[in-house]
Amino acid sequence: MKLFPVEPGTVGPCPVAPDALQGIKRQQTNPARWNGAGWQDFVAALGNAGVELAEGTVACGVYATDAGGTAYGMPHGVVIARSAGQISLLLKAAQSHRVPVTVRGGGLTTEGESVAFGGVLLDMTGMSRVLQIDAAALTVRTEAGIYWHSLAEELRRENLDYLSAPLNLTSSVGGTLGVGGIDVNSARLGCSADQALSLQVVTPTGEIVECSDSENPELFQRVILGYGQFGIITAATLRVRPYTPLAMRYFYYSSLRTAIEDLQMLDANDASDYSGILTIMDCAVNLLVAFDSDEREAVFHANWKSRLRGYGEFGFALCMAGHYALRPWKFREALYLLQRKREVFPEFRRPEYMRDGKMHDRSVVFSRAVWKHWGSRQMVIPDLATSADKFIEAVERGNAVCRKYFAHYTLYCVGIKLRPEHQPHYEMSCIPPDAEGWAYGCEFEPMIEGGVYSRDHFQAFKNAIYDIGVDLGASYYRFGGMMKGYIRRVFGDALVDRHLAMKRRADPAMILNRDVIF
Amino acid sequence: MRSVDVVIVGASLAAAAAAKRLVDAGLETVVLERKELPRHKICSGILSPRGHRFLLENFGPLPRETLHEPTSCRGVTFHFPSMVSMPMDFFGGSTPHLHRKYSDHWAIQRSGAEVHDQTSFAGLDDKGDHVLVHARKHGESVEYRARHVIGADGPSSLVTKAIYPDYTKQIPWFFVGQKFHDIIDCPLSPEYFHFWFHPGLGHYTWSHARDGRQIVGVGFKRGDNFAKKHQVVQAYLEDKHGVRLQPAADDDEGCAENFGPSLINRYVFGKGNVLVTGQAAGFLNMIGEGMSCALHSGAISGEAVVEARVRNRPVQEMYRRMIASEVRRCTDQWNPVKIAFDRPHEADFPAALMELGWRDRAKVLRDMWRFIVLFKEFKWGRQMARAALQRPLIGGYSMQRWL
Repeated sequence: MKLFPVEPGTVGPCPVAPDALQGIKRQQTNPARWNGAGWQDFVAALGNAGVELAEGTVACGVYATDAGGTAYGMPHGVVIARSAGQISLLLKAAQSHRVPVTVRGGGLTTEGESVAFGGVLLDMTGMSRVLQIDAAALTVRTEAGIYWHSLAEELRRENLDYLSAPLNLTSSVGGTLGVGGIDVNSARLGCSADQALSLQVVTPTGEIVECSDSENPELFQRVILGYGQFGIITAATLRVRPYTPLAMRYFYYSSLRTAIEDLQMLDANDASDYSGILTIMDCAVNLLVAFDSDEREAVFHANWKSRLRGYGEFGFALCMAGHYALRPWKFREALYLLQRKREVFPEFRRPEYMRDGKMHDRSVVFSRAVWKHWGSRQMVIPDLATSADKFIEAVERGNAVCRKYFAHYTLYCVGIKLRPEHQPHYEMSCIPPDAEGWAYGCEFEPMIEGGVYSRDHFQAFKNAIYDIGVDLGASYYRFGGMMKGYIRRVFGDALVDRHLAMKRRADPAMILNRDVIF
Repeated sequence: MRSVDVVIVGASLAAAAAAKRLVDAGLETVVLERKELPRHKICSGILSPRGHRFLLENFGPLPRETLHEPTSCRGVTFHFPSMVSMPMDFFGGSTPHLHRKYSDHWAIQRSGAEVHDQTSFAGLDDKGDHVLVHARKHGESVEYRARHVIGADGPSSLVTKAIYPDYTKQIPWFFVGQKFHDIIDCPLSPEYFHFWFHPGLGHYTWSHARDGRQIVGVGFKRGDNFAKKHQVVQAYLEDKHGVRLQPAADDDEGCAENFGPSLINRYVFGKGNVLVTGQAAGFLNMIGEGMSCALHSGAISGEAVVEARVRNRPVQEMYRRMIASEVRRCTDQWNPVKIAFDRPHEADFPAALMELGWRDRAKVLRDMWRFIVLFKEFKWGRQMARAALQRPLIGGYSMQRWL
């Protein structure tokens, strides 16, 4: 049988029946391994250009999978990023030889977006220097392969801090700006991508371009939250702020709905500097709020604390004791709750990160806790991002899906303040098109607890979550990999085809981060 | 001797799914197929929507030549001796009617694996750190040295026989055959797959349209007479449903099937470095659809090999832990408690039943019971009841029963 190549991004007719797999587009979402056509010529061209390429199982095997741990792929060769000039040479050669290039920062994608199914894997962590800190203007210029944690270390020396970044020690600046990036202060400061003032980008055809809202704004709008389709971010200028330790307060709820209502009330009234929800079980929900200053906390206590319907730790313990005393057959659930309390709570109060009752280095505290007590070998975290009014329904439906697939799971909900002037950045991104003021995101994270599951089991779970997004007209934190199957379903063909046309103009051979969304 | 990472025996859909996962991960994979590709495959070709989605996501949209006419099937219609008929549409819309000769060839090509057709598997020796695979091509011996072997060679699996020589003697075997008729008049809807719960017709009786002809299929315990069984069904269809057909063409076909393992959770997953998957492992959905579980279990066997290498764990351990989800899904389809209180199938039987009047409902349940009694001799009842009891207690089915 003669196999014809499929043009990336296209959706063919369905020869089966118009009503087959209702709503699902006719696209292969688990990409085929690139066939290696012209690889040797490409290697020779790179050699002539002086770009170092590592081949072989040992060099490539390190990059076999991402944090999601469900997609495995092997690049033909690996290039460690050294400079924008080197990346430019790489992309020019890849464009002329039609060799796919997959870019990887911290490798924290969960759907195989940073896994190379053949071709070149470009490891951006080689470009991880902070270039300039301007304490007066509150900006930093940094290479994009740096981890947020390393950037925070450098900023602390100047008594500065980044605005918001994923609570994860090894996510890179460039990767985050390409997808969103959520922190517990996003309800106040927006997503990480919103703090970028300007970027140095290497386009898919190899040009090195500086872009911002005033300089090459179209490229800037496409690269920010663009899932790596329109260029590789090599350096970024970010807004920063004076460093402050934070005072963390916890409120406990037995109802997810009530906790979300209170979270949205706090966000709408700017009542705290940090806010988010972490669930332990359906009946044990933690609303955390935190403050950068005593003044802000005092205002919270005076005006807003009394309106929260959650309990303090002791009050909630009494409630739970009463709840399980009346339901002795649920003793396993109670034991699990106690065990989680014993394990997780001290993580947020470790003495090395606490001084005078305030938490220092929140990124370290949260990241440690996430990896130790939520993440496992695999990060399986499908998510939904919706407008404020659809959020409760989305979370409750997602929670029901979690219950069906896993014994234990946790939900992480947070608000994302939107910036009206950044509306062009948000087009076809994780920000839901109908969100105004705030978008809300929820991650659904099963506790894998040393279990081994098939990719199919995880995928069925994720699809069930993502289908809620299609149903509600929501969006997702992370598009890519398997999300290729959802982007048209969520945003419609007209918008996706417009972006596809732009992508084809920018990347004629469609080499850069192929199969992530197109 | 060729040295590779994995040898897959069979070029079926399970093999293609396993090969896809292995090739994606950069493992050198060779597929051995006894016949010349594209090869004929005996099958109704009605894939479940879940299988369709798997094919789409992993291999791309189906080309037209991989489909029979009609290209799709809307659902299943159950027929009962009391002349009650229950049409049920698949969840999520119509599903493909695969032309296995071309769909399997397309999928194995799309997997990217190297295919050695006209190469018959002849045996294997598991040496602990590698497996020697013996094969024959054009009458000459060929040998492969592989880290792992995946047996995806169907119900009468030679790989299973090589590692469990007595297995085939321990399970009941069925013969499933189909004959093709030109149609004079057929009131049965060509949009549906028709199945008869009729103990007088056989253990597995079906009919559907294909390429302008009507298939009349029968399944029965091995040893009975195919022609006689078929004649009874044809006469019944004419008498009760007004289906008038020309005498069968001479391209009838049949094969051996083992649809017990899914019912009683008695799967065969291999030994040492040899994995067994697809229908060779015993996966079969209710109404005899094996393709979707072949695709998913095949993919899991490939994933297990990759995971075992990445984690440096025994491949059997990885495979058995990962395959548990597919076992749950497949055996749930046969679990009477799940059928009664859940929706384990891809069409809604309880809803269709509730649409009937209470008299018809009673007739259907009575007829189903009489049909089930036909299987009494295989003594599966207690084993199924035990499995059904285990399901809520341990959240799955016992791994202890797997070979």
